[in-house]
Amino acid sequence: MTASGNCPTGTTEERELPFSFTPQLFHLHKDHEVFEDGDIHRHMYLQDLYVSGADDEPALSVSEFACHISGCSAVFSALEEYEHHYNSLHRHVCCSCRRSLPSARLLDIHIQEWHDSLFTVLAQRQDMYQCLVEGCGQKFRTSKHRKDHLIRIHKYPPDFRFDKTKKDRGTREAKRPQQKDTAMEVADDVCESEGVCEVMCDVLSEQRELGETMETLVEEEAARMTKPAATMEHTDLSAAFDGNGCTSSETFKTQYSYRVPTTVCFGHSSVRGFRGRRGRRK
Amino acid sequence: CNRCMAIKTTAIKKINILCKFNDVRKEHIISLRQARRDRQLVSKRLLLTEDEEQREVTMDTASGQQDLVDLLCKVQHSGPERGTHLKALSKALRDPSEQLTFIKQENSVNLLVSLLTGSNAQCRLHAARCLHELSHSPHTNVAPACLPATPYLLTFLSGQSTKFTELCLYTLGNLFPDSDVVKDKLLAQGIIPALANCIENQKHNLAVVEAAAFSLTQLLQAKDAAEKIIPKVLASSLPSQLLSVLNPDPNFGLAPAIECAWCLHYLACSSDGNGELLALGALSHCSSLLMSLGGAVAEGNKEEGMELLVCPLLRCVGNLVSCCPVDSLSTQVGDVRLVAALCAFIKAYLHTQPALARESAWVLNNLTAHSTDFCSALLTLNLVPGLIQLLPFSQGINTMILRVLANVAHKKKESCLQLAQLGLLSTLCATLKMADQEMVTLSLEILFMLVIGRPQVADEFVRLSGVSLLEAIQYNSEGEMRRRAAYLLEHHLLSHSADCTV
Repeated sequence: MTASGNCPTGTTEERELPFSFTPQLFHLHKDHEVFEDGDIHRHMYLQDLYVSGADDEPALSVSEFACHISGCSAVFSALEEYEHHYNSLHRHVCCSCRRSLPSARLLDIHIQEWHDSLFTVLAQRQDMYQCLVEGCGQKFRTSKHRKDHLIRIHKYPPDFRFDKTKKDRGTREAKRPQQKDTAMEVADDVCESEGVCEVMCDVLSEQRELGETMETLVEEEAARMTKPAATMEHTDLSAAFDGNGCTSSETFKTQYSYRVPTTVCFGHSSVRGFRGRRGRRK
Repeated sequence: CNRCMAIKTTAIKKINILCKFNDVRKEHIISLRQARRDRQLVSKRLLLTEDEEQREVTMDTASGQQDLVDLLCKVQHSGPERGTHLKALSKALRDPSEQLTFIKQENSVNLLVSLLTGSNAQCRLHAARCLHELSHSPHTNVAPACLPATPYLLTFLSGQSTKFTELCLYTLGNLFPDSDVVKDKLLAQGIIPALANCIENQKHNLAVVEAAAFSLTQLLQAKDAAEKIIPKVLASSLPSQLLSVLNPDPNFGLAPAIECAWCLHYLACSSDGNGELLALGALSHCSSLLMSLGGAVAEGNKEEGMELLVCPLLRCVGNLVSCCPVDSLSTQVGDVRLVAALCAFIKAYLHTQPALARESAWVLNNLTAHSTDFCSALLTLNLVPGLIQLLPFSQGINTMILRVLANVAHKKKESCLQLAQLGLLSTLCATLKMADQEMVTLSLEILFMLVIGRPQVADEFVRLSGVSLLEAIQYNSEGEMRRRAAYLLEHHLLSHSADCTV
C-alpha cells in the first residue's frame, strides 16, 4: 500500500484503531469459581481427608488449536495437525473464484487457464495447456488432450472426474456435465468442488452486502471429504481444471455460502489472482 | 502440639489412602463441588479424642454399642460411674443417627449443660466432648438444639485448660453455620469479642489460636457476613492478632498460620476489609511470607501441606493488591521479588495443582497491571522466558499469563523488542491458532504492541510466516478478530508487498 513502510500513526489512525487492550485488575469474591479447587482442598484438610498430591482436581490440560476459517469447525490437539489442515485445505486459494488448490504451481496454472484472457487468446494458436505433472513439460492444445496425456502417459486412473470441461467464457449456463460426484449439489454452477478441494464460494454477486459474516455448510464438505477418491492431488485437479469456470456472472444460489468480506483479499503469499478481476462479474 | 498433629494426620491418612483411589472419594468430591456452587459448603472440624490419637485408629462406634437412651439414663443418675457413662455417651454420639436420637430425648442437652458447668472436672470434659460430637453433625437441626450450651462455651474460652478451650472453640465454630437462629444468638452473646480475647490472651498457645482462628473462618463465611460480621471483626483487635500469628512456628507447624491466613482471605474478599488490612500492613506481611515459602518451594523443600498455606496467602495478596493505590504498591508489598516467588509457585504446582498455578498467575496479573516496578522486575529477574513456556496450558492459566505479558508490553513499551526476542513473537504464532478466543484476541493485541513502531519486529513476524496466519484470521467469524488482523496486515506487515491491497 504505502511504499514507505509502516503507516504513520497519527491521531486519525488512533481513532480507528481496533485494539483496545488495557491492563485489568481482578478482585475476586470468596465464592468465585477460580477459588473452587482451593476451597475443596481446604475442606478436605479440615475433614482430615486431605492427602497431599492426591489428584482431586482436574488434570492440567493443553489448549487446543482451531481453524479460524469461519464455518470450519476443525479442532486440533497439536500444532502440526492444524498446520496440515490449513495448508491442505485453505491455502493456495484463487482470489477470483475462491477455489483452493493443493499447491502454488497448480494455483498458478489454474489462474492462467481460467482467469487470464491472454491465455485464451494464445491457446487458440499454440499449445498452452501444460501437463500437470511437474517436470513433464509437455503442452497441449486443449484440456482434453492434456487429460488424455495424463491418463495414458502418467497413468492417471480413467475414472477420474475428467469429464467436465471448462466451459467457454461467457457461456452462462450450465448445461451441467455429468457429475459423478453427487454430494455436490451446487446449483448450476460454478463453484463446486469434489474431493477435498474446498471451494470458497464468493458470493460477491450483486446482491451481497459488504462485511457479511461467513457461513458454510460444513457437513457438505465433510461428506465430500470422506468420499473415496484417489489422491487428493488428482481430485483437486479435476475440480480445479475441468469444472466450470467461475466466469459466469449470473447470480447463483449457493448451497454453501462461504462468504468473504469484500474488504479483504488474501495477500501475496497464499492467494493470488488478478487484481480487480472477480471472475464472475461481467 | 506438633506430635498430636502428626498423629492425627497419620491416622486418618492410613484410612484415606485406602480411599485415595476409590470412586467413593471421587464421588464425594463431586458432591462437594456442587455444594460449593450452591454456596452450601460447610466445613466442620472434628477434634479427635485422646484415645484416638494414641491408638491411631478412629473411633469405632460399633464396639461396645449400648443403647443411647439407656446410656442417657445412666448419666442422669449421679454416682461414681457417671464419668464412664458420659464417656461412653460421647462415643455413641459420633454416629449421626444417634445424634438425632439424642436431641429428641427430653432435656438431654440441658443435662449436658449442667454437667458442663458442674463441679466434676472430668465430667465437664466429657460433657464438652459430647457437645463437640453433636456440633459436628451433618444434620442441621442438631445445632439449634445445642443452643442452651453456647453462653457457657463462650465463657469457657477465657478458661485455663487448653484441651477444654480447644473443644469449646471447635464446637462453637461447627455450630455457627447451621442455622440463622444459632448465628444470631452467638453474635448477640458476643462471640466476636470472645474470640478476640481468646487469641489475645492465649497467643502463646498455638493449639488454641488455631482453634479460635478456625472458628472465626466459620463466622466469616456466613452469607450475610459482610453486613453483620465483618465490620465488627475489623473493628476488633482480630486483624492485627491474626497477622501477628501468621508466621509458621518451626515446632508447631503450619496449622495455626493456615487458619489465620484463611481468616485474612475472607476479610480481604470483602470490600470493607481491604482498607483496614492495608493499613495494618497485611500486604507486606503476607508478601514476605509468600516470598519465604516461594524460596523454599524453589529449592525443592516442599513441606507437606504447604499449599494449604500458600493458597489463602495468594488470595489475600491478590485481592489486597487490586485495592491498593498504585503509587504505594511497591512500598506496601515491600519487595518486587515477590514476582519470582509467584513464578516459583506456578512452576512447582503446575502439574499437581493447576488451580494454584492459576491463582498465582492471577496475582501476577494484578501486580503488573499498573505498576512499572513489577513489570520491570519480571524482566530484570529473567522470568519472562519461563512464563512464555506456560502458554500452552489451558484452564485459564495461559490467558492469565498472556495478560501478564501484555501488561508488561503495555506498561514498558521499551521492553517490547526484548519481549519479542525472548521468544514471545514466535510463541504468538502458535497462540494465534488456538481455539480459545480470548487467547487469540490477546495475542493480536500483543502483536500490535510489539510491532508498532518496530519494523524489525514486523519483518521477523513475516519471516515466521505470520502473514498467512493473519490472513486466516480474516476469515474468522468474529468481526473484532477480523478487524485486528486486517489492520495489522494493512498497516504493518504488508507494506513491502506489491500485492498489498486495501
